[in-house]
Formats: sequence, structure tokens, C-alpha cells
Amino acid sequence: MILLEVTSPASSVSLVLFFGTIGMLALTIGLIVFIIFHQRKVIRYQLRLQRMEQDQQKLLLNASIRLQEEERQRIAADLHDDAGPLLATARLYLNENLVNLDKTTQLQSIYNAKQIIDDTIQLIRNISHSLMPPTLKNFGLESAVNDLFQKISGSGSMNASSRFHDYRERLQAENELIIFRVIQELVNNILKHSNASFIHLTQNTSGNKFFIRLHHDGRGITQNDFNKLNKSNVGLGLKNIQSRLKVLHGKIFFEKDMSQTYYKVTIELAKEEEDKLQEQE
Amino acid sequence: MLPVISRFSAILPIILYLVFLKRNNKGGLWVIFIYSIISFVTDSAYTRLTAKIPYFYIYSVFSIIEYTLFALFLYRSLQQKNFKRVVLLGSLLFYIIAVSNIFQNRKTDSFDSPSASLEAILIIVYSIFYLFEQVKDPSIFYIYYLKKFWIILAFLVYLSSTLFLFLYATTFEKPEETTYWIINNIFDIIKNLLILVSFTMRDRKQQYSPENLYNDM
Repeated sequence: MILLEVTSPASSVSLVLFFGTIGMLALTIGLIVFIIFHQRKVIRYQLRLQRMEQDQQKLLLNASIRLQEEERQRIAADLHDDAGPLLATARLYLNENLVNLDKTTQLQSIYNAKQIIDDTIQLIRNISHSLMPPTLKNFGLESAVNDLFQKISGSGSMNASSRFHDYRERLQAENELIIFRVIQELVNNILKHSNASFIHLTQNTSGNKFFIRLHHDGRGITQNDFNKLNKSNVGLGLKNIQSRLKVLHGKIFFEKDMSQTYYKVTIELAKEEEDKLQEQE
Repeated sequence: MLPVISRFSAILPIILYLVFLKRNNKGGLWVIFIYSIISFVTDSAYTRLTAKIPYFYIYSVFSIIEYTLFALFLYRSLQQKNFKRVVLLGSLLFYIIAVSNIFQNRKTDSFDSPSASLEAILIIVYSIFYLFEQVKDPSIFYIYYLKKFWIILAFLVYLSSTLFLFLYATTFEKPEETTYWIINNIFDIIKNLLILVSFTMRDRKQQYSPENLYNDM
């Protein structure tokens, strides 16, 4: 309508005006629509990530609950199958004393009962030590790891050694326990699955990072395998490692050595995190 | 008829700002409220004013006030220092051109084309800065839940649609001007309606939890 009313000398102006206005309006609407759709796309992506993270958290939680249950069952089995019969036998020996009045037999049965009670004490001590290693509690991570590795070496099945380069100050007790459990889990996996002939552990710090590295010459896993196992329903031990390290905001990397001969596992912890946790306490 | 609707459309944002004063009393919306009042008063007193003062001066002064209020609103809304600096530099440029345009004393012109066009370009640029910032802000779930978004949309739609009109305004004869001024009236009404939406709605930035987002997908 506007165009029709315009006389011919001004028609070029009216055309520019018409197309200019329409063009600008189209650009504005286009910009707004683009922003809205782009934002929706970004939000969808963020939600997907959030869901994936939630699923991962659920897997880790399930794994830690299952592990906890397995641990309880193991302790229950130890107590029921070992401590229970031992104490029952000791009771039998002591009962015999009430029935049999012969001095020599009585002394013999008391001696037997004492032996059994000693065994039971040792058994309970072992259970207690498996729950909280006394070396770790009293002397720290370095001693506990050395102790663990000596036991492994002592068994003769594998050569295990460890070296702490920079561990002058102990970490917080709970954090030492978490790291020790992670190392235990990794060593267990190596013992069970890798067929390795040696394990070597080193500790050092770089800047404000705390590193623990494990080398072995058996069959190992890489970071891709670890990520896959973490997302699947298997690999309970690895999920346990992941959930424990999450508490310390730590990271773990699985890789094959540059020489392609050894597998390397690196645990990385931020020393600042440790300091912050200490401050909070 | 359209000029009358356009003139009175400015009164609706004023009323709704006051009705929902509690929810409009933050985020610098008072700037837009003042703009709506000035716009309404100028439009209403236009006939009386033009009897005493030339059109050119009325338009020039109104452009300066309009730019000042829009730029102030955007300056307050922008977060990044660089963008704020651009607003300050742009404002300096605008004031130099607008004031020199007034003092050039072109009484034959009925419209202050250079300053109005520059105002439109600068405000469009600042509005794009604002939108860019909002898109990058991860705390904002949906941009159209923000009151400010509708104000910016009003600026963008109005100024982008009238940019070419303002650029060519000085070349129009009186009958052409009356014909083409319809564009200004239409988009003025749309601008006021968009401001109205902003003054009516609740700012929902803080209310959205990720769970609620699924409802909108």
C-alpha cells in the first residue's frame, strides 16, 4: 500500500525503506530466535550431562554399598565360621572340667581351652587389623604401605617394593586410610588379575600435587578400559576406588608405560584439598 | 487513528508499572518507567509544543532523552567492563553528534535524522551485547523468563524497524512523511506492548531448578 502511494522519483527511497525495514526486522527476529534455540540446545546438553553424572553417582553409590555389605558378610563369616567354633570348643573343654574330676585331665583340658582362646584372640586381632591396620594408624601411610609390600614379597609370589620420596608430613588420618584402601584395592587387582612378577610403588609431590604411582609388568588396564568399566555394572573394585578418590577430589589414571612393557597407575591428589579438609576439621 | 493508538499505548506500561510496583521495583526498570512517562507526555503535548518550538528541536531533545534513558538502562544491565566502556564511548560520540546537530541550526529539517539513526544503531549494538552476556551466563535457564529480555526486545524491534525510516526522514515531503510515519506508529505500539509484557511478568531467574526445566522441553 505504502509502495503504491509513492510517486516515481521517490520510489527508490521507498524501496530502500521497505526492504531496509523488513530486512532489519527479519534480522532482529532471527537473532532472537537463534538465541532462544541456542540456549535451549545448551540447556538440553547440560541436562544430559547432569543425568549422566547422576547415573554415574548412582553406580558408585551402589558399588560402595555392595562393597560395604560384602565386607560385613566377610567379617560375619570370619566370626561365625572361625571364632564361633573355636569359642564353642573352648567351652566344651571347660565343661569337661565340671564333669571329669581327674586332676591331670582337668589340667589338660584347661591347657587346651587356653590354646583355643589364644587362637581366638589372634583371629579377632587379624580381623581388627584388616579393618584398620595398626601400622597405618600409628606410623602412617609410608609404613603401612611398606608393611603391606613386605608381606607380599614375603609370600614369594611377587616382588613388591615401595619408595616414598617426599612424605615428611603425614596426611590426615582419614585421608591416609582412604589412600591406603585405594592402594590395597589396586594391589589386590594386580595380584588377582595381572600375573605380574613385580609391583613398584613411588610417592612424590610436584607443586601442590601429591602423586602415587604404581608400576607392574603384568596385564593391566588403560584409562579407556577404566572408564568403560566404571560405566558398566561390573568392576566393583574400580568403582570403589573412584568413589573413595572422589572424597579427596583426587584423580586416577591408568596407562601403559612409554616402553609398552609396564602398566602404570597414577593417583593424583591436590595438596590444597588436603589442607582445606584439615582447616574444616 | 493509528497515531492516537500509538500515543495512548504508552500509558499502559505506566499504569502496569504502578500496579505491579513491587515486582518492577528492581533491575533499573524505573528507567523505562520514566521513559514511558516522557514518551507519553511528549506525544500528548506534541501539537501544543510544535506551535511554539520547531519540530526539529522537539525531536532532537527527545532523541537525546530517549538515548540517555535506553543507554542508562543497558549500562546498568551489562556486566562486562569492556561492554560498559563501549557504552560510555558510544554515548560520548552520540552526544557530540546530537549536540552539534542541534547547533548546526538546520531549521528547515523537520527531523533530526543523524542523531536518531545513530541512537538506533548504538542501542541495537548495546542490546546485542546484553543478549550475548545473557546467553553466556549459565545461571540463566531461559532468557525469556527475564523482565529485561522483553525490554531489550522492545528496543531491538522498535529501533531496527525504524532505523531506515529515521535515516531517510529528512528526504521526505510532508505527505510522504505522514504515510511513512505509519511504520513508526506500528512499531511504537509493539514496543509499548513488549514493555507491557515486561512490567506484567514475574522475573523467574531464581525460581528455576533443573527438575522444572524438563517441563518446558
